[in-house]
Amino acid sequence: MRVEYINPFVEAAFNVMKEVLGGDVRRGELYLKSTSMPVMGVAAIVGLAGGVEGRVLFDMDKASALSIASAMNGEDLTVMDDLVKATITELANMITAQAVTKLHELGFQFDLTPPAIFTGDNMEVSNQDVEALIVPMETGHGKVEINVAIRERA
Amino acid sequence: MNGQSAEPATNRIAPQHAEDKKERVDKIDYKMVTFSLAGKEYGIDIMNVKEIARAGKFTYVPNAAPFVRGVYNLRGDIISVIDLRTMFHLPSERKGDDALESLLILRVDEHVFGVIVDNIDKVVGISSASIQPPHPIFGDINVKYIKGIIENAGKLYIILNVEKLFAPKKSAEVKTIVDGGLRKPAIVDDQAPEELAKIELSYQEQQETSGDLTSAFIKETLFAFKRFAVTPLNEAWFDQRYEEWKQVRKAMDLQLKEQGEADQFLETFFSPCTSQLWTEQYMKQLLAALPDVSGKNLNVWNPGCGKGYETYSLACLLKQRYPEARVKIWANDSDLLSISMAPNMVFMVDDVPDLYKEFMIKGRNGWTFLQAVRDTIFFEFHDVLNTNPVPPADLILCRDTVSFMSAIDQKRLLADFNEKSKNKSVLLLGVNEKLPTAGWKAVPVDGISMYIKGA
Repeated sequence: MRVEYINPFVEAAFNVMKEVLGGDVRRGELYLKSTSMPVMGVAAIVGLAGGVEGRVLFDMDKASALSIASAMNGEDLTVMDDLVKATITELANMITAQAVTKLHELGFQFDLTPPAIFTGDNMEVSNQDVEALIVPMETGHGKVEINVAIRERA
Repeated sequence: MNGQSAEPATNRIAPQHAEDKKERVDKIDYKMVTFSLAGKEYGIDIMNVKEIARAGKFTYVPNAAPFVRGVYNLRGDIISVIDLRTMFHLPSERKGDDALESLLILRVDEHVFGVIVDNIDKVVGISSASIQPPHPIFGDINVKYIKGIIENAGKLYIILNVEKLFAPKKSAEVKTIVDGGLRKPAIVDDQAPEELAKIELSYQEQQETSGDLTSAFIKETLFAFKRFAVTPLNEAWFDQRYEEWKQVRKAMDLQLKEQGEADQFLETFFSPCTSQLWTEQYMKQLLAALPDVSGKNLNVWNPGCGKGYETYSLACLLKQRYPEARVKIWANDSDLLSISMAPNMVFMVDDVPDLYKEFMIKGRNGWTFLQAVRDTIFFEFHDVLNTNPVPPADLILCRDTVSFMSAIDQKRLLADFNEKSKNKSVLLLGVNEKLPTAGWKAVPVDGISMYIKGA
C-alpha cells in the first residue's frame, strides 16, 4: 500500500473516534497482514474505487459495537437492531469519508461505495491475495480494528 | 539544588535494587522431581510427573526397543516402562528379577508411562529464571533432550525435557536410530526424519571437523542476530569473508557472540552507496552496464528500498539513460518507519552529489527532488513475502535485501522475480549476491551484480 495513503486513514480514524466517542482513544502498532482473518462479530465495509481499487473494513465485537452505538446515540442500546447497525455504518462512513477527503487534498482521486455491514459469529474474511494494513484502535468502548487494503490500478 | 536531590535519590535506589535481586533469587515458580542416573543428578518438571512408585516384575515385551523394560499394571492401567539408563547408555546395576525398581510415572499429553531411574531423591523448588541453557558439549545425553541446568544447594541438576524425549507420539513409537555407532533415542513423528538426519549430521560434524562447525555456528548466529541466511545466493561472499574473519580475529574467538559482532562480520557485505545517494562513479558504472530498451514504458520494481535513497538515485539514473521512456518505480519496504520518510525526503546541500542538482529543487528546509521525479515513484508499505501486486517489470533493483530472509523465503522471492519480469528484464542484486537461478545471464561488470533474463 502506498505510504501516502497510510496517514490519512490513521488520522481520520483517530479524529473521528475521538470526536464521536470522546475519552481516551489510542492507536496500536500498525502492521501488514495477508492471511485470512477472523471477524470479531460486526464488520462494516466500505469499497474504494477510482484511481485505486480496494476496501476498508471496520471490525469489532458485538459488545463494542453496542457500546459505541450507545455512546453515539446518547441512549442505552442493548440489542443489535437497525439503529445500532445504522450507527456503526455511519461511523465507518465518517472515517472513510474523512480519509478520502484528506487524500483528495493530497491529489489522489478516490470514490466510495455505500457502506455495508455484516454481523454474525465465526465469520472470516479471506482474500489471500490482498495485503491489508491493520490499524488497531483502542477506545473506551472496546477495540476496533481498521483493515485497509488498497491497490494501485496497474 | 542538584546536589541535594541527587543524594536521597541514590539512597532510595540502592535498597530497591537489592530487593529486586533478592526477589529474583527467592521466587520459586518451578518445581522438579530430582533423581539420579549413574551417580549424576537429574530433574524432571513436576507437572509431568504423575506419581512415583517402586515396582518390579515387569512383563517383558518381545521385539521392543532395548530400553523398553516391559509393561506394568498400575492399578488396572497397563503402562509401558522405559529404562532411562539404557536409553541414555548409562551403566546400570543388574538387579534380580524380584527386586523393586524406582519408578517415575510420567504423563506427557494424554499418555502415561513409567520411567526407571536409579534413585528418586526429592522435590526441589527453584526459580525458572535461574535455569541455565544446556551447553552443547554435554556428553551423555543429546542436548536436544535437556531443558537446562540448575544449581541448588551445592548440587547441579540436569533438567530433562520430557516433552521432547517422549512426545508427541506415544512411547511405543520411540525407536533408536543406529548411525555411525551413535545410538540415540529418537521420536518418530511427521517432521522428525528430516530434522533428525540434520541433527545426526551436525552431531557427527561436531566430532570430526571443528573448523566447519565454527563456520556453521557463524551462519546460525548471523541468522539469529541479523536474519541473514547464507545460501547459494551469497555463499561465495561468506566463504571469502570467513577466511578474512579468521585473519582479522587471529587468536580471538571466531564466533559472533553479540549483535555488534554480527554487524562487524557483515560490514563488507553491503553494496556501494548503501543508505546514501549513489555516487557519480557508481552511476557511471551502471549507466554503461544498462542495456538499451525498446519499449516506451519502463516498469521498475524496487523491493527493500529502505529510506528510498537508492530509489531516487535510480529514478535519476533512468532519466539520464532512457530520457524518452516513461518510468514507473514501485518501491516497497516492510519497515514502516523507513518507508514513511521516503516520499518526503529532504537533503542538505552538502550531501547531494552535483549530478542530482538538475533533478532537485531548493525548498525551505533543504533540497528535495522535483515533483516530476517523485511522480515516477510509488513508495509502498508492503511485505514482499505477501502477494506482490506489481506489473511485469523491465528492471528489478533489489540490493542486499534477499539475503536477509530465510532460505525458503529467498527461494520464493527469487521465483517471484522470475514471474514478475519480462524477457530481457534486468535484475540488479547486491554486489555480493550471485543469482543462483537458471535462465538469467550475468553481465560481466566489476562491482555490479547484474543479470539479464533469457539473454
